[in-house]
Amino acid sequence: MSRSESTAGSVPDLDIEFPAKPQYVRAARHTVAALARMREADDDLVEDIKLAVSEASTRAVAANEQAGSKDPVKVQAFVSDGSLVVEVFDRGPDPERPVSGPPEEIDTGELPFERALAVPLIRGLVDEVAMESRPGGGTTVRMVVSLSAERP
Amino acid sequence: MDLDVEAIREDGASVIALRGEIDVYTAPLLRQKIVDLVDEGALNIVVDMEKVDFLDSTGLGVLVEGLKRVKTRGGNLTLVATQDKILKIFDITGLNKAFPIFSTRDDALKGVVAPEA
Repeated sequence: MSRSESTAGSVPDLDIEFPAKPQYVRAARHTVAALARMREADDDLVEDIKLAVSEASTRAVAANEQAGSKDPVKVQAFVSDGSLVVEVFDRGPDPERPVSGPPEEIDTGELPFERALAVPLIRGLVDEVAMESRPGGGTTVRMVVSLSAERP
Repeated sequence: MDLDVEAIREDGASVIALRGEIDVYTAPLLRQKIVDLVDEGALNIVVDMEKVDFLDSTGLGVLVEGLKRVKTRGGNLTLVATQDKILKIFDITGLNKAFPIFSTRDDALKGVVAPEA
């Protein structure tokens, strides 16, 4: 699987669901960080992954709450060809607008203040990020990080 | 709770010493501590993040809110931070320009009571 290919149909290395409540975001980021560590990501990279997962999970918790959804937040991670792909699924409203592509091209100008901090953070931490409508309602945030030493 | 928040009175300033992780669950504790200190009349606040293991955008939002809160009253807020993982978050978001960040608590205390013009 190349970095840009869909993970649809792949068996995840990590598949967790947690109640859409703030106290569970910590467990989500530490779990994905543990997987990254298992795959020999260095300490700095583990910190970046932890933060990106925390931002996406925090966003998902808020989205479910906003939509009044009782569904859990779902996090899946895949490791392949030296990359870690993390997908965070919510059942909140559709994204403000679908975005995909290189992180630096995502415009944050119209976002509310806290989101306007979260998006540049994710953008500064991962190699690729995409935010798409999820079939059945909600949003998928997909982040790709290279686990190799040669990071951009 | 995964964040300890301790307030210490120093000459001319209040120090908030943090230990643990600042995220969407724990950031309200920091927000409340800043609100309480300002309500008690504190104008100058030092937030010591030397023992902070994790900080995200929710924590940043609370710090920005705190900075605005003291600035509107003629006060100041400075930070103590030396860990790369914490400094990096301020760099990425550009908030390193909004906050005076010091490497020691002593320097942050000097900076908060006598901010550079």
